[in-house]
Amino acid sequence: MTTSKTDILQGTLDMLVMRAVADEPLHGYALVDRLRIVSGDRLQIPQGSLYPALHRLEYQGFLKSEWGPTKTGREAKFYRLTAKGRKQLEAEVADWKELAKAISLVLRTA
Amino acid sequence: MSWIGRLLGRKRLEDSLDRELQFHLDSRVEDLQRAGISPDEAMRRARLELGGVEQVKERARDARGTRFVEEWWSDTRYALRAMSRAPTFTAAVVVTLALGIGATTAVWSLIDALLIRSLPVERPEDLHALRRVGNEDGTYRVSYPMLQRLQAAAPTGVLLSGMSATVRMYASTGAQPEGVIAQLVSGDWFSLLGVRPVAGRLMTRADDETLGNHPVAVVSDWYVQRRLGGDRSIVGKTIRLNGASFTIIGVTEPGFTGLSVGTAIDIWIPTQMQHVVRYASNVSTSNADNRQPWVPQEGIAWLTVVTRMSADAARAAAEPLDRTFRLAVQDQSRTLDSARAVYAMREHLVPEPFARGFSPLRQQYADSLKALLASVVMLLLIACGNVAGLLMARSAARSHELAVRVSLGARPGRLVRQMLTESLTLALIGGAAGVLVARWGSNTLLRLASGSTAAIPLSVPVDAKMLLFALGASLLTGLLFGLAPAIRVHGISLHDAFKAGGRVLGRAGHRLPLGRVLVVVQLALSLLLMMTAGLFVQTFQNLVGIDAGYERERVLSARIDLSAGGYTSDRLSSLQQRLLDAVRAVPGVQSASLSLTGVAGGSMRISGFAVPGRVLPADDNNGQENVVTPEFFETVGISLIAGRPFGDADRFGAPRVAIISEATAKHFFGTRDVLGARFGYGSPPEFEVVGLVRNARVNNIRETPRRLIFYPLAQRPDEYVTSVEVRTAQRAETVALAVKAAIASVDASIPVREITTLGKLLERGLIRERLVARLGSAFGIVALLLAGIGLYGVISYSVSRRMSEMGVRLALGASPGRVAEVVLRDALLTVAIGLAFGALLSLPAMELVEKLLWGITPHDSRTLVGAITALLVVGSVAGLIPALRAARVDPVEAIRAE
Repeated sequence: MTTSKTDILQGTLDMLVMRAVADEPLHGYALVDRLRIVSGDRLQIPQGSLYPALHRLEYQGFLKSEWGPTKTGREAKFYRLTAKGRKQLEAEVADWKELAKAISLVLRTA
Repeated sequence: MSWIGRLLGRKRLEDSLDRELQFHLDSRVEDLQRAGISPDEAMRRARLELGGVEQVKERARDARGTRFVEEWWSDTRYALRAMSRAPTFTAAVVVTLALGIGATTAVWSLIDALLIRSLPVERPEDLHALRRVGNEDGTYRVSYPMLQRLQAAAPTGVLLSGMSATVRMYASTGAQPEGVIAQLVSGDWFSLLGVRPVAGRLMTRADDETLGNHPVAVVSDWYVQRRLGGDRSIVGKTIRLNGASFTIIGVTEPGFTGLSVGTAIDIWIPTQMQHVVRYASNVSTSNADNRQPWVPQEGIAWLTVVTRMSADAARAAAEPLDRTFRLAVQDQSRTLDSARAVYAMREHLVPEPFARGFSPLRQQYADSLKALLASVVMLLLIACGNVAGLLMARSAARSHELAVRVSLGARPGRLVRQMLTESLTLALIGGAAGVLVARWGSNTLLRLASGSTAAIPLSVPVDAKMLLFALGASLLTGLLFGLAPAIRVHGISLHDAFKAGGRVLGRAGHRLPLGRVLVVVQLALSLLLMMTAGLFVQTFQNLVGIDAGYERERVLSARIDLSAGGYTSDRLSSLQQRLLDAVRAVPGVQSASLSLTGVAGGSMRISGFAVPGRVLPADDNNGQENVVTPEFFETVGISLIAGRPFGDADRFGAPRVAIISEATAKHFFGTRDVLGARFGYGSPPEFEVVGLVRNARVNNIRETPRRLIFYPLAQRPDEYVTSVEVRTAQRAETVALAVKAAIASVDASIPVREITTLGKLLERGLIRERLVARLGSAFGIVALLLAGIGLYGVISYSVSRRMSEMGVRLALGASPGRVAEVVLRDALLTVAIGLAFGALLSLPAMELVEKLLWGITPHDSRTLVGAITALLVVGSVAGLIPALRAARVDPVEAIRAE
């Protein structure tokens, strides 16, 4: 397990989840792995929050789920991004970049 | 998936959620095992990382947005299960609530029918009636010429239509005449109201143009349904009304029974037919001959004017209508003496909203119904108190269960909601049963209020408004009695609940103060209800006990209608003599008389008089007239103070004589020494006073004795008498049938409307008081019992919780009597506080019923003391039972149980 645990900022979990399933459908467990690996072990998603987030995003229509076989042949629930979700993701990413830029500017000058 | 679909697919979603999380756990465990961790440890870690499967599930459900409804549904099922496990408890609560909510709804729906609901016509809010105001008794009646004048003065497009009072007539379509309720109306009355025919056609203006020339009649659907079994083919047939023939031209649409709430009209005829049917009710006359047709006469006011215009239009039309009215009155008053002219000129005519129609019932019952509604709501509150007490005791007994649930992660708010769901479910079941009670109750109330076998034709439907009221009452009730236990749940302390080893202990020193508060409120409200009951019962007794001024039990009065038999005035005298002879011949009859209006019968004739040498105020110069045969006073029992009764010498053509009552003597002459004095309608004064009789309350028992004037029938041979009075030797009821048969033996076509004692007739005027007294007493007694039960519950609960304390006291040497005393004092203290509050509350509360009282003040101290005593007795019993139980506690048992 990773030791460098970064708390995920409030509100960014949804964005990360959407980004993770943007390229290909993933089930919840794979999603945790994916984020951990992509972030170079820096991000540890609180697993207790992951499933409520997935359900919430599906309820909002940003994700769509489907039961399907995994590589090992078991049945798992796969989530993929909907068109509406993709738009939402783009908007959130843009907002995030703006915010990050602003914060780094502040940090540089202060 | 839609929100509702998501809810319906709940089971599938739950499965899916289970499998999804299971898959996650399995995968994690596999990965961990692959990393060389033991299976058990892997499982432990996987669960730890996920953070509790149930919590995750709960939050995932939250995210779906259906959680509230899901929980509500599961709460409801839980509540139903809990209720079916305690059937006696549930039944007790539901029955209590059903009665409470049902009674409240019943009284309310009567109030709605009588006081709130609008007439079933088009845009009822636009209806107005023209009212004459200015003198103390406002009236709606104007003469027919006045109606025509007003119609001419009304703005274009505004219709004005006249209608008479409702009157009983005798109708026959075949053999036997039967009583119907009739009304005379202008031709355009139906089109003004927007009433449509369901068969045939309704009257138009052309049906009401020339005097005596329009023998047409419209009947109501109510009449057709009730008397003809719904046969509408009656249109085109002939009906005889008070002896005259009319053609039925149409039937009004169902639901329309006229503009008088509580009086359903059977038949309408044109105003031009007044003299043909000898309509003669509700009239004021001056300078007129009411035996001639009324339509052309200026001095006979008998029509109420209704009109249809918006509120704005009514404001605009008010001035021209009033000006026309006053000009005409001014014109006519030139012929009046100055005092009457002043009286007449004080009057104005104003349009008054008429959306709810006329209702004698409304005037009569409005205050009583409001008082009854207030009482029944208080009763409901008291019942709520008891139910709350029961639920609270139950929730206390369940505090261990609740504590367990809290410790397993249930939020307190969630438990509160569940308790509330249980109360609301109970209340709604009670409310549903209450609707049935209400249905039955409002009909029973109507029957009680109408006081005779025929119920008042007032429809009290189970409509949306009534259901809404019942629902509202149920929800409010549920909240009220559910709140107390819910508040308790909030206060649950895990520590205390578990410390007691699963036994109920509650917080230390916690003596169920909420329960105490409830009982205090119950006692206070009960005191109010007991007081009102006492006041109402005494009012009724006071009224019954009034000396009417005549004999009640041994005098029968038979209501007859000679005009319906088609008798003309020249044949009246011999008919009257034959009637008297036939009735006198009945065994058991001591004497008999005939009179124009009878006694206690509800009809009256009032005229204005002049007395030479005295100035009577113009608006206070009247007396109530009756025309009687000589034996009237002896028969009825109105005693003669001075002078003589009428005799054979007082015949037609002889000097005209009158007998007056004390009140008349005092007002007209200012002395009781009136024999030989003269008075009359004008000058010269026609009548000589030959006798003075005691005051009598001839209209109803609560009136101040009217000024009575009697004339001999022989000197007014063309009056149609309406009453036969019979004095009997033994019980009057036994003679009644024989008297009825005797009247029929003279002429079977004379309708005898009813025959009953004067006492019964008088009591009919007290229906309202009797109804209020009876219901008030019932409410009071139920309140007393409920409060007693409530107190008993609270005290015995506190005793059961203090068993060990009692045991210790006894073990330390306290006598059982001392222990009982402690408990009883506790109970009586609660009662005392409740009564003190109640007595304080009664000060303003009793003022509200003052209008309904007679001969007793709202703060009658004897009534207050009586009510307090009753509650003290019940309170002592309720406290004594648990007190004795406490005294019998076995100290060893009680302490060991700790």
